[in-house]
Amino acid sequence: MVSINYAFREICCKIVYYGPGLSGKTTNLIYIHKKAPPQTKGELISLATDADRTLYFDFLPIDIGPVQGFSTKFQLYTVPGQVYYNATRKLVLRGVDGLVFVVDSQAAKLEENIESMNNLIENLEEYGYVLEELPMIIQYNKRDLEEVSSLEELEKCLNPRGLPYFEAVAVKGTGVFDTLKAISKLVLEKARGKSEPEGKKELISVSAESKSSVMPSAEREELEKKPYAPARESVPEAPLGKDSFEEVERDLEQPEKTYRVEEKLEKAREREREKEEQAKETVRLQKEKEEELIKVRLKEQEEKARKEKEGAERKKLFLERLEREMAGVERQKKALELEKIKEAEELRKKEQAALIEKMKKMEEEKKTLIQSQSEIEKETVEAERVSKEAVPEGPVQTVKADETGLPFQSKIIISPMLRQKKTKPAKGGFLWRWIQKIAGPNLDPKNRR
Amino acid sequence: MDTKNSRSEFGSKEQEVKLQDDSLIIHEEEIEKIDRALIKLIKGAEAKCALLVDKDGYLITRQGFTHSLDTTALAALLAGSFASTREIARLVGEPEFSVLFHQGKRDHIHISLVGERSILVAIFDDRTTIGMVRLYAKECGEELATILGQAHKSKKKSEPAIDSGFAASAEDRLNDIFRD
Ligand SMILES: Nc1nc2c(ncn2[C@@H]2O[C@H](COP(=O)(O)OP(=O)(O)OP(=O)(O)O)[C@@H](O)[C@H]2O)c(=O)[nH]1
Ligand SMILES: [Mg+2]
Repeated sequence: MVSINYAFREICCKIVYYGPGLSGKTTNLIYIHKKAPPQTKGELISLATDADRTLYFDFLPIDIGPVQGFSTKFQLYTVPGQVYYNATRKLVLRGVDGLVFVVDSQAAKLEENIESMNNLIENLEEYGYVLEELPMIIQYNKRDLEEVSSLEELEKCLNPRGLPYFEAVAVKGTGVFDTLKAISKLVLEKARGKSEPEGKKELISVSAESKSSVMPSAEREELEKKPYAPARESVPEAPLGKDSFEEVERDLEQPEKTYRVEEKLEKAREREREKEEQAKETVRLQKEKEEELIKVRLKEQEEKARKEKEGAERKKLFLERLEREMAGVERQKKALELEKIKEAEELRKKEQAALIEKMKKMEEEKKTLIQSQSEIEKETVEAERVSKEAVPEGPVQTVKADETGLPFQSKIIISPMLRQKKTKPAKGGFLWRWIQKIAGPNLDPKNRR
Repeated sequence: MDTKNSRSEFGSKEQEVKLQDDSLIIHEEEIEKIDRALIKLIKGAEAKCALLVDKDGYLITRQGFTHSLDTTALAALLAGSFASTREIARLVGEPEFSVLFHQGKRDHIHISLVGERSILVAIFDDRTTIGMVRLYAKECGEELATILGQAHKSKKKSEPAIDSGFAASAEDRLNDIFRD
């Protein structure tokens, strides 16, 4: 879309350099930026990866100055050529006025060139642009390299429509300006066709339509009343904001310009009126803004008050709850303590009972022990008595042993004692030693047969 | 980024279809009106400057403190940024992110869609707030959409057309400028 700005007397065209990755699109722009006269070029902006591959686009504005009173500008863009950047590549195409397809002439790259061309057609179709209607130039780049396809082959594969083409060595600048000039011309020819005034029929239907528009009718009428300015082209308008009355005064001094004075005066008055309106508008806006601010402040205050109130309430509630909780905790603590005391007491009682029990048991044990001791003593006495009676005179009588190897008498003495005690007397104890003394080594079960 | 979706807020879909095969042609009266709207935005929101940019990256007009800015490059980059955001929206299934906001250390940028094919850009600093800018940008955007809508409907016959000699005149100049 060629942009024509009548206010700034400006025509702006968008030219896109398309083609496969590394074909030399960015190199074209770099050369143009380096070699174009300073007053014609703006800054070259590259949205590229660290490896200098185009990521989104390169952008170079060119201003060739006034042509027929219109400052004529070109905006040169390159697309990222790498296949997987199609999303951004497509975005750059939007609103394109002219295309330069930069071909990498190397024989090995032929396939990539064809793929890129198909991708271009696809993307244009998706925007609803018609390829045939779009000015386009083909640039066969990298002609300096050795393994390049022949021109005939490239033409056959890439240029079936016979578009104008240039051979180029972009790194050296060969063919770069020729390409740019050719596409610029094509685009401007196309722009002329586009901006030609439309027929009367169209105008009528438009004014009928505009009645239903949002524009206030008074303002519209005023616009419609506005005198038709036939001499606008030769007398440039005063720039915005300049004092128009001053200018009119100057014009009055030149008689041949008087016929324009009326018109200018009218215009100046109108501007004055507009200025007033603007001032009013500003005042109104200021008021609105103030009101808005007041509203905002009030709201803020309300909010603050509400928050404070809420805060106070919350605090109160919190305190109450805290108190309640504290009381609860206190109660619980007391209950717990009581329980503890009780438990401790019970434990103590139990311990006491156990102790008493133990003492009782010990007492009993003591008793049985004493009893058995007295019995033993009795029996010992008895035994002594028997042995004294049995061996009063003559040689020592041999006591006959039974199969166990124990002498009968020992058996008689020991067995009731053992039965009563239930447990064997502890080895090494007094009782044991005493038994051994009487019964001899046969008592030990190890020595039994 | 503001994800508020307001496709129908500033302009209609029908408009876009109508304008798509059309050149962007802007007349003096429109620029005056647009400038007034932009001034209103700047004063109201206390912004530093405001630009109206075509979605294809052309600067339509600008107001305020723009002397230190490369507005041509700015316009192209903003349009690119908006286009890629729009594509991102499409990919995540959002019809459009109609407002973009870049926050800087000192300066901030508020970008909003106007109609279907223009972008309103306001640059501001901490003297004002994003809220104020948003408020006035919305208002300004509505106004601009109306102005632009009118502009494309009423092509003035009186404007000097670019005639057949234009390309020829340009050719001489091109040959003059681009010499190896
Ligand atoms: N020999 C030779 N090398 C070239 C020529 N033109 C460009 N190159 C080199 O090719 C490489 C790629 O060039 P670029 O301009 O970055 O390629 P591009 O088309 O922008 O690539 P993408 O950004 O990935 O799409 C660079 O190293 C250039 O120096 C040429 O005419 N001859
Ligand atoms: Mg590149």
